[in-house]
Amino acid sequence: MSRARIAAAGLFALMAWQGLPVEAVAQTPARQTAPPGAQVYFHYPIDGLSVPERFTVRIGLRGMGVAPAGVNHARTGHHHLLIDTDPGPPDQPIPSDYNHIHLGNGQTEVVVTLPKGRHTLQLLLGDYTHTPHNPPVMSQKITINVR
Amino acid sequence: MLRIAPALLVLGLALAMPLAGTSAQERARQRSSAPASARLSFIGLADKAQVPAKLTVRFAITGMEVVPAGQAARNGGHHHLLIDTELPPLDQPIPSDFNHIHFGGGQTEAEIALTPGKHTLQLLFADHNHVPHDPPIMSERITVEVPATPAEKPRSVAALGARVFFIDLQDGATIPSHARIRFGAEGITVTPAGTSSPNGGHHHLLVDTELPALDREIPSDFNHLHFGRGQTEAEISLPPGEHTLQLLMGDHEHVPHDPPVVSQRIRVRVIADGQAVAAAQPAPHAHGAGTARTPSPNDAAVYFVYPRDGDRIYPTSTIRFGLRNMGVAPAGVAKPNTGHHHLLVDTGPPPFDAPIPADLNHIHLGGGQTEYRLTLPNGRHTLQLLLADENHLPHDPPVISERITVIVAPGGPNARRRR
Repeated sequence: MSRARIAAAGLFALMAWQGLPVEAVAQTPARQTAPPGAQVYFHYPIDGLSVPERFTVRIGLRGMGVAPAGVNHARTGHHHLLIDTDPGPPDQPIPSDYNHIHLGNGQTEVVVTLPKGRHTLQLLLGDYTHTPHNPPVMSQKITINVR
Repeated sequence: MLRIAPALLVLGLALAMPLAGTSAQERARQRSSAPASARLSFIGLADKAQVPAKLTVRFAITGMEVVPAGQAARNGGHHHLLIDTELPPLDQPIPSDFNHIHFGGGQTEAEIALTPGKHTLQLLFADHNHVPHDPPIMSERITVEVPATPAEKPRSVAALGARVFFIDLQDGATIPSHARIRFGAEGITVTPAGTSSPNGGHHHLLVDTELPALDREIPSDFNHLHFGRGQTEAEISLPPGEHTLQLLMGDHEHVPHDPPVVSQRIRVRVIADGQAVAAAQPAPHAHGAGTARTPSPNDAAVYFVYPRDGDRIYPTSTIRFGLRNMGVAPAGVAKPNTGHHHLLVDTGPPPFDAPIPADLNHIHLGGGQTEYRLTLPNGRHTLQLLLADENHLPHDPPVISERITVIVAPGGPNARRRR
């Protein structure tokens, strides 16, 4: 009897445990999966480089394609350039502000103007809802020196 | 006092000696050092080559970085092209004149014009102060010859029956002062200037002028409008009154073909915009609305991030594409100012008014890819990028890259490293 009760409790717990993620997924739209080996990287600049105040960031993408924001297409996303900031929670849409530059028309390069000094740059791919993929496709965080 | 005088003399000497020493040392130190392995050369330009009077010279530096003038960088410098001159003194800034051309912006190529005859060309690398490095990094001094009679060069041949004409515009038509003129071409392909292809050329609109000399470059002025990007229509503004219009095809160097592909010279009457011109205004895209090309921004450009023209590459290489002032979208996605890449391998540009064919020579990157892993047999190959809209139709004007030549070799890049 007690064994059956334990079994029932265990089953209940299992259902609860399984139910939780289901609810969580229902709250935020399912994140797109990134194909294995997908990688986003900087053509220019590279880590440690000195750059003028106004320069073009050129973006490379391996194993995936680029699509404008709002276009739901498998194995695609659009670029985001994070300046002097860390990526936020990977299940939330990437904010849009001066530190998070959205390239929502499918651009693969962007001209930025930064004040003199050290800055960090990082690339993060977002899907059609601006949410990072699962796992997130992001570049290394690089440091540049604006002179 | 007697004792102090010699002491002062000695002190003075001691002070003077190092002063003289440092100035010499400083001058020596002013020269930036360069690695012994650095090499500087011309790309695709050999000694004793015959060259046109106007040519693009490309520079290759290995083992050092190109940095704009004024910016001190280790193993960095910028190019100088020495024309018809000996090497300047290597411990002083390179002079700046017609014989010593500076590329202080970090340029790696330049278009130069030479008079007919023999000329010498040499490249010399120099640091942020325009002073050559130690050891100096320079190319071989090569001699090139510009043929005395440039007209000797055979003109591009046009196919028999090739013709150009105005679409929806008749002789004697009345048009508004701001009008869209559309050019038709038959039996000849429209290709951008600079892109050499058999039986290809680009439009020139001659306004109020006679035909120019047909054995040389079409002039570029208000009367000779060039459409070097392969445009097939143009918006022009003309003052009210009588005008003549004529189309003339030019090849990749703006020289008319042989025989010249030229339209009838038509007369148009231009009236001020306020007046009713409905009769003269053709319905836009009245013919073939199904194949209307998507417009592209005027400053859009597609280019190779890797490889560059003349590079040696591995048989399997990742070709990387760059796109300026437009975005990438997968095929089938209609969005203004976007398109998807096509990699043309060993083939010239296809016609721009039809979807790009899909075969081994025309690689479609319909998933919005911005790079492609390409395997090629050893030898010389050409690569070109062409952007197209959601229906695989090139934009208007077409967004097309330079056609580059790469050499596929098992060893890949020879002592040339790139990311």
